[in-house]
Amino acid sequence: MTELSQTIQTAVSLLTPYAQTVDYPATNRADLGVGVADLVTAVSTLHESNWGYLAAITGLDCGLESSELEVLYHFCAGAAVVTMRVKVGKETAVVPSICPIIPSASFFERELSEMLGVTVAGTPNTARLFLPDNWPAGVYPLRKDFQPEMINGR
Amino acid sequence: MISDLTTLLFFPGGLSMLLAGMAFTWLDRKLLARLQNRLGPRWFQPLADMVKLLAKEEVVPAGVNRLLFVGLPVVALAGALTAVLYIPLWGLPPAASFPGDLVVTVYLLSLLTLCTGLAGANSGGRFSLLGATRTLTQLFAYEAPFLMALMGPALVAGSWQIALITAGINGRWLLFTQPIGFLVALIGLMGKLEMPPFDAPEAETEIVAGALTEYSGRGLALFYLGRSVEMVLGLTLVAAFYLGGLSNPVAFLLKTLGLLLFIAIVQSLMARLRIDQTVGLWWRYGALLVLLQWLVLWGGRWL
Amino acid sequence: MHTNEHTQKAETFIVPIGPQHPALREPGHFEFTIEGEIVTAASVRLGYAHRGIEKGTESRNWVQNLYMLERICGICSHIHATAYCLGVEQLAGVEAPPRAQAIREMVAELERTHSHLLWLGEAAHEAGFETLFMYAWRDRETVMDILEALTGNRVNYSANLLGGVKYDVTGEQASKIEQGLDYLEERTRHYLDVVTSDPVFIQRTRGIGVMTAVQADRLGVVGPTARASGVVRDVRVEAPYAAYTAFPITPVLAQAGDLEARFVVRLRELFESYGVIRRILANLPPGELVLKRMPRRIKAGEAISRVEAPRGELFYFIRSNGSDTPDRVKVRTPTLCNMASVLTLTVGRHLADVPMILVGIDPCFSCNDRGLVLKRGADHEHWTWDRLRQIGLDYYAGERGSGGVGGTSISPAPLPPCPPALLTGMHV
Repeated sequence: MTELSQTIQTAVSLLTPYAQTVDYPATNRADLGVGVADLVTAVSTLHESNWGYLAAITGLDCGLESSELEVLYHFCAGAAVVTMRVKVGKETAVVPSICPIIPSASFFERELSEMLGVTVAGTPNTARLFLPDNWPAGVYPLRKDFQPEMINGR
Repeated sequence: MISDLTTLLFFPGGLSMLLAGMAFTWLDRKLLARLQNRLGPRWFQPLADMVKLLAKEEVVPAGVNRLLFVGLPVVALAGALTAVLYIPLWGLPPAASFPGDLVVTVYLLSLLTLCTGLAGANSGGRFSLLGATRTLTQLFAYEAPFLMALMGPALVAGSWQIALITAGINGRWLLFTQPIGFLVALIGLMGKLEMPPFDAPEAETEIVAGALTEYSGRGLALFYLGRSVEMVLGLTLVAAFYLGGLSNPVAFLLKTLGLLLFIAIVQSLMARLRIDQTVGLWWRYGALLVLLQWLVLWGGRWL
Repeated sequence: MHTNEHTQKAETFIVPIGPQHPALREPGHFEFTIEGEIVTAASVRLGYAHRGIEKGTESRNWVQNLYMLERICGICSHIHATAYCLGVEQLAGVEAPPRAQAIREMVAELERTHSHLLWLGEAAHEAGFETLFMYAWRDRETVMDILEALTGNRVNYSANLLGGVKYDVTGEQASKIEQGLDYLEERTRHYLDVVTSDPVFIQRTRGIGVMTAVQADRLGVVGPTARASGVVRDVRVEAPYAAYTAFPITPVLAQAGDLEARFVVRLRELFESYGVIRRILANLPPGELVLKRMPRRIKAGEAISRVEAPRGELFYFIRSNGSDTPDRVKVRTPTLCNMASVLTLTVGRHLADVPMILVGIDPCFSCNDRGLVLKRGADHEHWTWDRLRQIGLDYYAGERGSGGVGGTSISPAPLPPCPPALLTGMHV
């Protein structure tokens, strides 16, 4: 077993109790489906065992026909990347904040909530980070149903 | 009467002083630029700046004391131009003289800094206010050592009158007997003129233009002119006190320019000091070293 | 007048830095609450350089996106394109030829050289050390010339293609690069000497903005900022991409974690870059520059591509739905990771240290603010060069005519609200 796959296996075994699905899209990656309720515990498990660092949080809109958004938490350790994939409904898009565990997630969470309209419950700062002050409320640019007309109000 | 007016308005005060100030400013900028591997401004740049600024609208921020805002630059420049009368410009005897004029001159030279500080405090902007605080803090830092450094030659000559001091030290280069005083005076002058490394009061990367952030047009031009004049006065004073007193104008001008070159080199060599570091430098080293020199002078009975 | 200015009693004195401020080369907005000269709180607002690039990728094809993503940043343009290319190639299941990968790495290291020297000048400027600023930027011209000779451009080199690179290195160019590197190496040694021995400069850097390794880890900082705190975080070493397996580098570390360490790390990294460029030039693998076939549609899937930009780890997440446009391109730039550290480190420090600490992470706001505001009116979607030129002519004609603002004869269309539209205009 190489060092790389060992690193990944460590993370996967740590997260197995919370993982609904486990997938290996590439040799250096593991992709785990995690329920919203388990997210904070899963992240803190990984964090407490000092496995890697939070590299990014990606928000995904699964398409116009889908009613779901995905929030991806990417953790990196060396070459290994472990992604926790959380699915939330578009209408009720709420994920818990992981800032209490990883304070540096604040910027990622702010970006996530303003770009995709995912409410991050308990994140310390909900002010806009990137979008202008006069950006209309409830318009989320990275959603697939976003139309430029929504900004102009025309 | 006519000759008095000429003295005030044309030579050595007034117009000729403004032109000399701009010429020195240009030379300072040019030298600094060349030392920094830049091209630097053309010879008429300071003049062009002044003409342009004077022709521009002066924007007065809302909520400031208008009288102070407009008046302070005038007072600052007037202070510097008044000091001209007591200073042996171009190696010639001063236009006016009375016992104790050294103290008055130093006070007049500080007027510019004081006005800058007040102008900043009056402008109300945050950068102005911070700049004003720093300007005045710095004033308290360098002023005492600067004055003490100028007193060294006064002690040697046994007089507080600039004309008598320069006459008293005639021919002697106090630079060699009082090197500390010379350095402190020259570097104190750099502090007065807010040149690097003492440009914390106008550190552009922190507080934009410091106390003068809100100034534009005429007010800014007058402050700049005041500073230019003060540069010539300061250099003249140091040259007269430490580089052999009065002499023929050409030799004296060369000495002054030599000092300017020195200042330009120091400016190009240093990063900006933080305001607390500036204060620390002056009180920990500047003041103490001058005091030490006084002791030496006293030990040698003014040498 | 702002109300705060009348109530500036003690602790509520807020110094706004930005969006336009001489300390910032790019727009960002910081608010520092100060007491006297000491900062007691800090906050940041980004987004002033938002151009809608992430959203823009969804409506452009895979090739067009390469050119748009390269324009996220003017300093680290090549590394953005490299990250994107590597990600797309990974999705398509292809790999660029070895020669192309080596050239990618070489251009990336040249870019790092140019970026670090630019940073050195800028950091010196923030410290009020104008002489170092001027000299560093003069010497940076050498590497700019090299890049221009190599690719034809000083910035946005456009060296990458999906499946390879555009430009080869000729023998003549190689010797020119060698010469340039010799000069730069000598100069870099001098600058390293200056930043570690100049007493006044050291007063502004040593022991300032100290970030311990534990803090660095917790704040999630990346790149030279992390390495200056003794945290080995360098994608080139941890997860070698492009040709970094064949031409490896040694990570440069420092333990102090202060500003001086950040200077030392960045400058010593330059020697690594020079070394690896020389090795690549000497052992450039033979072969093709670009793949014969690169699919126009990319297989559905998700790819993560991580590269080491001059400022730290650059993270790309690319998702394809099998069409000729990506479904999602997520860009996480190093500055976003490092920005939080600025807010933490400035609290308790002097206001004068703030610009230094800020510049210590080498912030790049354009990288940060990819984002949004894409206005696609049919009217001004594409601005061709001719049209831009005509507007310029009309503008000045109008100005002369009316002697004033000259608004009358300008084309009625407002100025383009979004550069991405402009960019596509340039490619039409």
